[in-house]
Amino acid sequence: MTLSRMARSPEAVAGFVILGCLVLMALAAPILFPRDPLSIAGPALLRPFQDWALPLGTDRLGRDVLAGLFHGARTSLAVGLAAAAASILVGSVVGTVAGFAGGLVDEVLMRITDAFQTVPGFLLSLALVSVVGPSLSVVVVAIALSAWTGPARIARAEVLSIRERDYVASARVIGMHPLEIAFREVLPNALPPVLALSSVIVAAAILTEAALSFLGLGDPNRVTWGGMIAEGRAVLRSAPFLSIIPGIALVLAVLGVYLAGEGIVESSATRRGNA
Amino acid sequence: MAGFEISRRKVLAGSAFLLASTALRSIGWTQARKGGRLVVAADSEPRNLNPAIVASNGVFFVSSKVIEPLAEASFDGQGGLDPRLATSWEGSDDGLSVTFKLREGVTWHDGKPFTSADVAFSALSIWKPLQNLGRVVFKNLEAVETPDAHTAVFKFAEPTPLQLIKNALPALTSVVPKHVYEGTDIAANPANNAPIGTGPFKFAEHKAGEYYRLVRNDKYWREGEPQLDEIIYRVLPDRAAAAGALEADEIQLAAFSAVPLADLERISKVPGIKVIGDGYEALTYQLVVEINHRRKELADLKVRQAIAHAIDKDFVVKTIFLGHATPSTGPVPVNDKQFYSSDVPAYAFDVAKANALLDEAGYARGDNGNRFALKLLPAPYFSETKQFGDYLRQALAAVGIDAELVNNDSAAHQKAVYTDHAFDLAIAPPVFRGDPAISTTILVQSGIPDGVPFSNQGGYKNAELDALIAKAAETLDDKSRTGLYDQFQKIVVEDLPLINVAEWGFITVARDSVKNIANNPRWAVSNWADTYVET
Repeated sequence: MTLSRMARSPEAVAGFVILGCLVLMALAAPILFPRDPLSIAGPALLRPFQDWALPLGTDRLGRDVLAGLFHGARTSLAVGLAAAAASILVGSVVGTVAGFAGGLVDEVLMRITDAFQTVPGFLLSLALVSVVGPSLSVVVVAIALSAWTGPARIARAEVLSIRERDYVASARVIGMHPLEIAFREVLPNALPPVLALSSVIVAAAILTEAALSFLGLGDPNRVTWGGMIAEGRAVLRSAPFLSIIPGIALVLAVLGVYLAGEGIVESSATRRGNA
Repeated sequence: MAGFEISRRKVLAGSAFLLASTALRSIGWTQARKGGRLVVAADSEPRNLNPAIVASNGVFFVSSKVIEPLAEASFDGQGGLDPRLATSWEGSDDGLSVTFKLREGVTWHDGKPFTSADVAFSALSIWKPLQNLGRVVFKNLEAVETPDAHTAVFKFAEPTPLQLIKNALPALTSVVPKHVYEGTDIAANPANNAPIGTGPFKFAEHKAGEYYRLVRNDKYWREGEPQLDEIIYRVLPDRAAAAGALEADEIQLAAFSAVPLADLERISKVPGIKVIGDGYEALTYQLVVEINHRRKELADLKVRQAIAHAIDKDFVVKTIFLGHATPSTGPVPVNDKQFYSSDVPAYAFDVAKANALLDEAGYARGDNGNRFALKLLPAPYFSETKQFGDYLRQALAAVGIDAELVNNDSAAHQKAVYTDHAFDLAIAPPVFRGDPAISTTILVQSGIPDGVPFSNQGGYKNAELDALIAKAAETLDDKSRTGLYDQFQKIVVEDLPLINVAEWGFITVARDSVKNIANNPRWAVSNWADTYVET
């Protein structure tokens, strides 16, 4: 049902096709390009479509742009998914505890959430990475740090309504521990609207990671699209393809994730509406 | 109809104004040599503009026009020097004193006369205790005698070679006014940010994030100079912006390779713009791999030799510097006529030999093809040092050394390398300042306290080398002193306390209208008194 409904929306189809390609690229990267994508593969600044061994050309040091693009997809997806998973996990736990406990706990947790929301997310990530030092896990934590507030607020709102339901009351009557009620009865039912946020978070995380790499705060031992764009910027006037190619990949990836996510949300919304 | 009349009048007035403006233009042209405003790109805003305290090129770039040294480097002057605030210098036979005759009739920008008391004060209160380079060169300076207002006699506790003092004059002897600094906290004096000097230009204003403005000093001691009315340093931290601003004629000059090397070929073809590689001969930067000898593997000479063999210097020069550099043979740059010695071992690019050396040293490849892993910290100051970091990681991978790159900002990099020693290999761009004793020997000398930037913080200790450096520091005869530095170069290249990869000067890009540029070996950081803009 859901699939056929989704097929009716061309945007969703496009989103899934792009996302599929991206995942395929990420999975195929170590098979198609087993060498370190940062290794020097040919002459420097080779233009695209000149040498079929290096179809998209090479950068300033002679590194294969196509290999970088494939391995970059891996990094972007990994960071996007990990950051989204981390922020949804933290956000929904905080939201559930706040909503279910109420009172002082709710007040404290929500003020903390407010505090995080008032600081621009990117600035927070930037500060953390520049203090701790750039590596992939730090980047993931930095992005999650600025993205968990959205899921926390939505989870709390859902929990506030769910905790008044009859089955929660009956769970209380049979003597379940409040924590057990919160995480086994309430949270699973509060999760779907939170998960709907995930596509937005993944898309934002991919962009944030690219922006951090662009500013030189990415992991220097890995290829990232943002890093490739930054690397190409020095020769923007003479070899614009070095920035344009990963730039297009970045736009497509974010668009794909976003459209696919919208498709899922929309189809589940129509289903609910029909039911 | 009335409306038409008025508009016609306006048209007439307008064309009269246009005519007048062309006339003004031609008047301006006849005086072209005398005036002009030069707008140049500045990529940083130093916190302290006092060159007597911070002898670095970023500071000199602005303040060398305001504050003068005793002598400036010169292509054709006697001994490679052009006298500025000093007119002559003479050393005693025992090496314990140097007598400077100072220029007469020089006044500070605030009107007070310049005397030997200013030189004595600058030397004893600033160069020796506070200056980054002066601490080394003037460490034995005991007193400065001032028998008259235009004679200063430097007295040293230990014999100090005149050759070293002469080589140090351009960069280390910026003279600041005693009456402004005496009795104040020198490091916090407001004049550090609005310098008062004797130079051809007066400091006018600094708008943070926007520009510095210097204006002509009408009372400059040299007749007919300066030519320019004004110099504006426009702060353009983005290197890509400098090229665009030059093409749009918003700035007329970008020094210190503010235009990226990769853009030079394109911009050299733009009409009205010239690319100049001269004027940096005495400001040679060296690309150096710093080694932490505390690491067991790196303490082994064979491993260091293997790393030297693994680096393709020609690739570095051709691909990273796009040909605007020279492969290094040792710690003294090839372009230094006084000290360079080619009598040193060479490490040709040879991956097979590097692998063999590592095998010999007992570091066999493991299951994943790696022998050992280490941390590589490229200095963040230049895009070339960062790119070389990317290259070195690959070059080391080819011989089975797994290098993990660690990127830091400037402050964190200096702390990690020079204070915490949290590195295995680091990439540094030290400057050769015309004499190995000024800033080169400290890169390999032992016994330097933690935290001194751009010094030996790799834990390297070689008694023979230390003795040689100490002996050269007190050898008065030029020839035998040069001979000691020949030996110094040989030992450094043999024992590899660090690996010299390449050396480079910078590139100036300017509009054709800017004249008299790059006419001395430190041009970008000299006083620009004869430079002018043709309009």
